Amino acid sequence: MRLNDLMRVSLRQVMRHRRRYTGVVLAIALGVAGFLNIVTMSREVKKNFNENLDLIGGVTILRIYFDNQRSYRPQWFREQTLAALKRLDGVKELSLTAVKYSQTNFQGRHFAFTTMAVDEGFWQVRNFWPLTGKLFGLDAVTGHKREVVLGAELAKKIFGDTHVRGKDLEINQEIYLVSGVLGGVTDSGLANSVFLPLTTAEDRFPGRLLADRLYLRCATWDDVTAVAAAIPGIVKSCQSPEELHVEGSWEALKRVQLLAWWIEFLIYLATSATFLLGGVGIWNVMMAAVTSRTREIGLKKAMGAEDRDILAQFLSEALCLSVGAALLGAGLGRIMMEFLSYIIESRPPENLFFFGVTLAFLFAVVIGVGAGLYPSIRASRMEVVTAIRYE
Amino acid sequence: MNKLASSCQVNGALIRVTDLCKTYDNGIDLIHVLHDVNLKVYPGEIVAIMGPSGSGKSTLLFILGIFLHPTSGSYFLGGQDVLGLDRNAQAEFRRRRVGFVFQSCDLLENSTVYENLEFPLIYAGVDRQDRPERIAAALERVNLGHRIHHSSNRLSGGERQRVAVARALVNQPQVILADEPTGQLDRTHGHSILDHFAEIVSDGKTAIIVVTHDPEIAAECTRVSLIRDGVLYEQ
Repeated sequence: MRLNDLMRVSLRQVMRHRRRYTGVVLAIALGVAGFLNIVTMSREVKKNFNENLDLIGGVTILRIYFDNQRSYRPQWFREQTLAALKRLDGVKELSLTAVKYSQTNFQGRHFAFTTMAVDEGFWQVRNFWPLTGKLFGLDAVTGHKREVVLGAELAKKIFGDTHVRGKDLEINQEIYLVSGVLGGVTDSGLANSVFLPLTTAEDRFPGRLLADRLYLRCATWDDVTAVAAAIPGIVKSCQSPEELHVEGSWEALKRVQLLAWWIEFLIYLATSATFLLGGVGIWNVMMAAVTSRTREIGLKKAMGAEDRDILAQFLSEALCLSVGAALLGAGLGRIMMEFLSYIIESRPPENLFFFGVTLAFLFAVVIGVGAGLYPSIRASRMEVVTAIRYE
Repeated sequence: MNKLASSCQVNGALIRVTDLCKTYDNGIDLIHVLHDVNLKVYPGEIVAIMGPSGSGKSTLLFILGIFLHPTSGSYFLGGQDVLGLDRNAQAEFRRRRVGFVFQSCDLLENSTVYENLEFPLIYAGVDRQDRPERIAAALERVNLGHRIHHSSNRLSGGERQRVAVARALVNQPQVILADEPTGQLDRTHGHSILDHFAEIVSDGKTAIIVVTHDPEIAAECTRVSLIRDGVLYEQ
């Protein structure tokens, strides 16, 4: 029997008995759609979780710093080190900072606080947002502007309010414009700090300002360990790594990874169960088909069909079912992927989808052959007389 | 014996069955279904095999179609020892040399007349573009050319039987084996099937063996053999 005849006859049979096969096809299609979305969207969803660091406790942020108090030769992060770290796989963004202690007098009262000199990426890396007013951006950093953002607690201490945008604040006897108050902070140290552009601090603060702290955000929590391990080597390749420290929320990271592992495992389990059910379903319907089509098998053998013709026909019908279901699942998966991408505003790479589709089709072929083989062999081995006389 | 048959016998037997026996073992007894059956069928003949129910008519026909194997004896078709064929060669034999018409006018359900006739051609490896012509020709021989694309489920009993005959013919076999081909038909349609058979064998190359209960049908055949308790008697 020629291949094109085989495919035509099998497709025709499947289409004519489509009602019998609906449940099985839907089961496999849903399995494929779920599988495709795990393959394509899991990384995007993880990335999306990372956007909302409150949800996972900032576990993807690493704090890298030189402990200059313990070193005779103070260190700071050089341009080439920053560039090398940005190129590292799994690094999403980083922010350079420096810390100084400052003071102010307001309406006759004296306040001492930590001043953090930060670049424009700091808010994004730490996932901070303005409680009131706005957080200064690239223009303030490149323009060396005298703008500051206050921690909420400090704003309340100094001004008695958090709505302080446009007010003046004197720091080290220079006047700065308050652009906003920082929100999204749970650390009391940061809530009592003042933030100003790194460039401005370099210009105006007395003494040498060492940008010796770096906040680095990884793309997903799975990247954190590898990135942390790679950092000392990269720093060493660009500058002295003396008294370099890399800190992360290791305990929280373990908990998040464990939780994510279970979620992923359960999704895979559900998908595998769907595939398995689909396979059992194909086995069942093919066995039923062999029984109900016994006379047809006998007739075809009487017309001259060889055992392998009958085997090939039933096997290709099983394959048509599983591959057809995979095709439907791919369509369904694409729709789900588009919907999820829209919801989380992030698209996976297109080749990842095609990789998933290829894998799903391979699964479908394995299921089709695996589940259809025994019924097909049974059909092919029927004796002509037994099959023809079957009532 | 008519003129056609006698002219055919000159050229030698197409089918030669010698001392054919079929015995079933049911665990308690041996059941002898066929005893030393000897049969010669010549090209151009329509041989009727008559006999009561359970006499072994269908068993003999199934052995001739090699759906069943005899316990002993020999069976030659066109000089070829048919019983020595392996499983694949048996399938080859069925698709090239034999056409079978079943008692219950078995057609493939939910298929068109065309599809029913296409299967033997598919198994015989006939090119797809050659099939429509051969199918149309076979259907024309049974006057059903106009039903080619009809569903087999919507045909009358007579039409179904004629489609089954056309299907047996489509690969131009040397022998057509028909098991009660008129059993479910009225007299008119029954005789019409026999007319078709007569036309088929008129080429002098084909032989037809018909199992029937109907003496009127048997009377229209070239030769009649009676089978009783597994023994075949020439009439």
